Amino acid sequence: MRLLVTTLAIIAAILGLILSILPFGSIALIPIITAFILGFIAFKMAQKEGANTKFVKVIFLITIIALVLSIYRSVFEDNVVENDIETIEKEKQSKEDALEELEGLEIED
Amino acid sequence: MKSFVFTIICFASFLAQSQNNAIGSNEKLVFTASYNMSGLLTDLAQVTMETSEVKTSTSTLLRLKGKARTYSKWDNFFKINDLYESYVHPNSLKPYLYKRDISEGGYYKFMQYNYNHKTNTVKSLKRKRRGNGTYWDENKNLNISSSTKDIIATLYHIRNLDIHKASIGNSDSFKVLMDNEEFKITLTLLGKETINTNIGRKECYKLAIAMNNNNLLKGSNDNLLWLTADGNKIPVYAKFKVPVGNGELKIQSATGLKN
Repeated sequence: MRLLVTTLAIIAAILGLILSILPFGSIALIPIITAFILGFIAFKMAQKEGANTKFVKVIFLITIIALVLSIYRSVFEDNVVENDIETIEKEKQSKEDALEELEGLEIED
Repeated sequence: MKSFVFTIICFASFLAQSQNNAIGSNEKLVFTASYNMSGLLTDLAQVTMETSEVKTSTSTLLRLKGKARTYSKWDNFFKINDLYESYVHPNSLKPYLYKRDISEGGYYKFMQYNYNHKTNTVKSLKRKRRGNGTYWDENKNLNISSSTKDIIATLYHIRNLDIHKASIGNSDSFKVLMDNEEFKITLTLLGKETINTNIGRKECYKLAIAMNNNNLLKGSNDNLLWLTADGNKIPVYAKFKVPVGNGELKIQSATGLKN
């Protein structure tokens, strides 16, 4: 049972870390909180059985890194859209093409 | 993701009207599109809706432009750069030309509709990119009903309706041309609500949107649109359910309004 909880905790912690590196914002909190809960259960079980708690502590460390990263990104990273030349040109060209198409059309008043 | 973004762009119409009294000729609405997972939101893209006047040698038209761009932080993983345009009559908002140029991840598609309102037909061009980078075109002539519009023209058409004359629970259906097929959209007025938005606290019409014969929008009352209950009828908030989950669209700014 302890092995299962520890395995799920490490999976959740790694998933939380991946999502906090990717721009998933607060969605990363789902695996992070799960990892914390499972990590806590695994820690208590290990203590009760007198087993080594080192691995569970590593899980906590990964989870904390993921949490800090996730909070940092949601606080300090702004939503910015890149205004590249390619897009500006695409819009300009599209308008020019449209005007050519419309030139031949009969428009009702 | 493709249908998600398309749904962000798609929010459609209600009753017929001939005069444009809600849409300015230099209007710009900016929205944030977010994906919702278990109540947690992540901002995905910026959606912009702009209007401008364009002149041909014989007439003046209103250009309705819709853009969807992923925020830079997403561009390395999944870049979306979509452009939707509809060239409509400035008063009746009747469409004459529709263009859709979408680039989502590695997927590219271009659609163009040339309307002929005398014969109720549309000359359609579909262009797609093959795996080797070359393009193929598909030309079709489509028969449409006299009230059928593209999705962008429909979106603006809804804002130009006399919603204040409708009673709560009233609904109406409209025909929208998408991917060379006509779909029926049903809009229902659910009531009035006052909500907080980035452009202030607004009294809004709450509308439910349902799409028949299409699985783009899921559920009957899961797709909701809030339009300001004033002369501009700005779409300030939208919630939608699509095959890949739930999303939200929130207004960030509104400039160049007519009223």
